[in-house]
Amino acid sequence: MSALAQATVYGLLQGGLLAMIAVGFSLVWGVMNVINLAHGGYVLLGAYIAWELHAAWGLDPLIGAVTGGLVMFGVGYVVQRLLVNQIVNAPIFLTLLLTFGLQLVLVQGMAVVFSADYRSIATPYASQAFTLQSFGLADVRVPYGRLLAFVVAVLATAALVVFTQRSRTGLAILATGMDRTAARLMGINARHVYALTAGIAAALAGAAGALVGLVGTFSPPDAARFTLLSFVISVLGGLGNMYGALLGGLVLGVVQAWAGQYLPGTWVNAVAFAVLVGVLIVRPAGLAGRAFYEARVEAT
Amino acid sequence: MSRSAVAWGLAGAVVLVGMIVLPSQLYTGQVRVVTAVLMFVALAQAWNIIGGLTGYACFGQVAFFGIGGYATAVLMEHANWSFWAALPVAALGCAAFAALIGLPLLRLRGHYFAIATLGVAEGMREVVTNLGRLTGGGAGITVPTVGGRGTAWLGNDGFYLLFLVLAALAVAVAALIGRSRFGYGLRAINQDEDAAAAAGVNTTRAKVLALTISAALTALVGSAYAFQQVTIYPQRLFDVDITVIMIVMVVIGGAGTVLGPLVGAVGLQFVSEYLRQHYPQEHILVLGAVIMIVVLLFPSGLTGVATRSGMLATIRAYRL
Repeated sequence: MSALAQATVYGLLQGGLLAMIAVGFSLVWGVMNVINLAHGGYVLLGAYIAWELHAAWGLDPLIGAVTGGLVMFGVGYVVQRLLVNQIVNAPIFLTLLLTFGLQLVLVQGMAVVFSADYRSIATPYASQAFTLQSFGLADVRVPYGRLLAFVVAVLATAALVVFTQRSRTGLAILATGMDRTAARLMGINARHVYALTAGIAAALAGAAGALVGLVGTFSPPDAARFTLLSFVISVLGGLGNMYGALLGGLVLGVVQAWAGQYLPGTWVNAVAFAVLVGVLIVRPAGLAGRAFYEARVEAT
Repeated sequence: MSRSAVAWGLAGAVVLVGMIVLPSQLYTGQVRVVTAVLMFVALAQAWNIIGGLTGYACFGQVAFFGIGGYATAVLMEHANWSFWAALPVAALGCAAFAALIGLPLLRLRGHYFAIATLGVAEGMREVVTNLGRLTGGGAGITVPTVGGRGTAWLGNDGFYLLFLVLAALAVAVAALIGRSRFGYGLRAINQDEDAAAAAGVNTTRAKVLALTISAALTALVGSAYAFQQVTIYPQRLFDVDITVIMIVMVVIGGAGTVLGPLVGAVGLQFVSEYLRQHYPQEHILVLGAVIMIVVLLFPSGLTGVATRSGMLATIRAYRL
């Protein structure tokens, strides 16, 4: 019983972080129908920025997360404006290829600069933990680092939801996602809005990368795993549905933690993909509702 | 048969004869390089049938490659089959697998199909890794080639001929499909699936058949690759990079054509071999940059540049 509770707690905490990584990916996919295969690379760039700040000046990973987020916002904006915008209307495998090429450049570039060694950002508090004694679960540990990462991740995801649904810029993003032609006729600069969307996604990914460094280890080849997990979560949640991404992240985190607890070997990875393919076949619009991009009016 | 078909057939036959006598003029290392080129010609043509012609971006194509390879290795190691019996059975088994997953997955469109197939490929790798008794797991499996068991290794020239036959087969199948009624149905699906269905194309049957043929060709190559490598590992046989390389080759050459994947496979494989030899540290980085540049500058492929004057028009149409 307590093993199950521990796995569930751990899965939820991990799931919040995964949701933060995936929510930007889902937003980009939903608004501009682009799958950014370099998304995992953005996560790791953020992680390395935070790691460098910590190694050089001993800055806390939370400050690293803010810095990494700001830097990655710029990177995401420029990449979208200069590269991805050039082929937004092309058949999908061209955007997939472009971002895959970018992913190769990022991952290999990081491997050359930082080496392929596993790194982590050591803080005095990350491995400290309290137990859920007051809930009658005395042997369920909750590490402060993971709890902090979870809280920050959920707050950031919630902030993105409020931003897109309440602010003028956020509404412009949603409007462009629904009908680009109409949005442009209303005076929205679609090129800028697309770049802004990609920048926000990259910023969240970069900040989440710093939190990944806070709670565990990372190395350049991890990028592909973060991209794949973002896929799974976006599909689980329904594209462009940001609450859905949060839900999908938590579900995937818990499912993976349970699989890790009860299945031998590396079956845990197979479970994630089985969930993905199963959801696609049974409920392609995601657990939380309808797909965003599918519903848009396509006018050219 | 139309006149152009005869001309293309003759040109193909001349190239084929040239390719058969080529190895006698090359060093062993060069034969190996050309063998790898032939392998990717076959793979690119196979992907082109489902991805280029039908327009379904299968990002899990390497699953068929890996299944073909592992089916061959398992049949030879555990059932003591000869390679020549295992090769067609592996391809048929993989075709059945493709038809089975194709029925549900081909209902998905666009990115959903791409990701679902990617999920299948990654999942298959985990399955093969975790079925240690049958497949040797992560430690790999070795095809019996010595001691009277299995089939004797074919040697460099033997594998050159084997991959030449597979490449020629893939090109021939792609050319036949491209000119057939079935091929026109696939092109119609690519352009507008609902309109194709309304015009009388049985879209489900056509799509599943396209995926099945594509998978069978890919499995043949995977089977031959496993025999050539002797010892195979899940990480390599289900490497997503193999899928991506197939797609890059098709896109560079020109998707949906017969000549395109041929040009793309030959061009990219030689470039990447050159980079590997001269820049061993950074070659993947350079490859990534090459992919990005090609996608941005030649979105309709190199053969598209030659046959269509609309290269700039394509670039303009694709940008925001």
